[in-house]
Amino acid sequence: MIIRWITFVSLLVTVAAVAQTPAAKPDAGGYPAPTAKLERGRTVYVISSCHFCHGVDLTGAAMGAADLMHLPLVGRDEDGNLIGPIVRAGLPNLQTAMPQYPDYTAEQISDLAAYVHYLRQEGRYRELTAPGEASAGDAKAGAVYFSGAGKCGSCHSLSGDLAGGATKYKAEILRQRLLRPGPDFVSEGASPGIVAHLKLLERYGDGDVRNLLAYLQAAK
Amino acid sequence: MMGARGQAAPAVSLIGGMPFGVETFSFHDLPPAGDAGLIPTLIDDMKFAGLAECEIMSGHVEPMGSYATGWWVATRRAPGYAKMREEARRWRLTVPMDYYRNIRKQFEDAGLRMYYYNVNFNETFTDEERDRTFEAARALGVDGFSSSTVLSEARRLVPFVERHKMYVAMHNHNNLVDPDQFATPASFETALAMSEYFKATLDIGHFVAGNNDPVDFIDKHHDRIVNIHIRDRKRNNGRNMPFGQGDTPIKEVLRLIQSKRYPIRCYIEYEYGSFQSSRDEVKRCVEYCKEALAS
Repeated sequence: MIIRWITFVSLLVTVAAVAQTPAAKPDAGGYPAPTAKLERGRTVYVISSCHFCHGVDLTGAAMGAADLMHLPLVGRDEDGNLIGPIVRAGLPNLQTAMPQYPDYTAEQISDLAAYVHYLRQEGRYRELTAPGEASAGDAKAGAVYFSGAGKCGSCHSLSGDLAGGATKYKAEILRQRLLRPGPDFVSEGASPGIVAHLKLLERYGDGDVRNLLAYLQAAK
Repeated sequence: MMGARGQAAPAVSLIGGMPFGVETFSFHDLPPAGDAGLIPTLIDDMKFAGLAECEIMSGHVEPMGSYATGWWVATRRAPGYAKMREEARRWRLTVPMDYYRNIRKQFEDAGLRMYYYNVNFNETFTDEERDRTFEAARALGVDGFSSSTVLSEARRLVPFVERHKMYVAMHNHNNLVDPDQFATPASFETALAMSEYFKATLDIGHFVAGNNDPVDFIDKHHDRIVNIHIRDRKRNNGRNMPFGQGDTPIKEVLRLIQSKRYPIRCYIEYEYGSFQSSRDEVKRCVEYCKEALAS
């Protein structure tokens, strides 16, 4: 995992840029996506009627459809390698079958998968920054996650780039930086660290973030 | 059995002399279940689309979404489902019938009519709940039910339709793997043989997606079909398409019903993808049907 402590100045620049963006208006398929690739993915998602069953923003999955916000398969997907075959073949055995989309190109599948990951990252960020997530975590479990499943230790160390971080930020800001240290979507040229954090955002299990925070704060 | 149950005569939306309406599922952007604005918005959307009658989903009548009442097997496995289902049952068993009469009044005051109550009967219903749901349908003033149900539940429903003298029209999807599902001519015929009060709501798009022929089925069973759902899907479990772009013979079906004067009501069901509002798309579907019958 990578945590780059964003400087106060760069944070201000980001906030100012967002503040100047005219408010986007939603249509029947949700809000316009922030990049061309993601907007192409949104088009595939909406024109294929995915949103009627899986939700415009992946919440409120209806008609027995899979909850793409939490389905582990989506978290493991890389550029549509797992999502694509299901979309192309459909799921005819479901109670009400999911249609097949056999003619989708590799580019369409890639765009669709990118959009689903974007929606999932947005949704998981909202969930993981909700008030209920502020409860105390287990620092020991956080240490295990840091050097184990999270692979945080491959890029970070408490004695190196993370030294003093926990004293620099309030817990809530620290949580936000940990979850999303940079832009909130993957764009062309995004650093591997940002991409890694956004992928991780889709894969955190119950308690992982609380435990990580407890570990970082205990180390101050 | 299938009279108008004393309702004031509503406006009718005839196209080519045939009564057209809408399955309210088509309006995907209504306020959530239980919201006071739902029925007024639905009525406004129907007027906008020029449709005077509907098949109304239980999720648009009851304060809980359809997912809370057991049809979706996957949902039954969700955390908290048992409590949610019990609360839904308790609501059904205790709500005064004036609740439903008030909804009926809103439609009547607008000159609209609910013809069918879409309730997806399933094994999670208790007998008391089934009885109560028939009473609710009577209070709504509908002719009968349209139901996405299964053959095993149809067997349970026989004494209820006989006792309440109200029909249940089976609605199909296109799951060809589960023999309990309505998806083939044989599944419909099995249910229709169980009781004269069993009818069919034939979804012609799903029927085609299951590689069946709706024209043939309608011609053969027209006296047991109360309404059709008009959608356009591709064959082989293909996708929903804008009307006229899939494999569903919409024009042929409409012309068959028109030319043979079958008393089958034709209901739009919009489910293809679009960035436009649902009511815009429902209106577009209506325009397609008008052109299909005019050409």
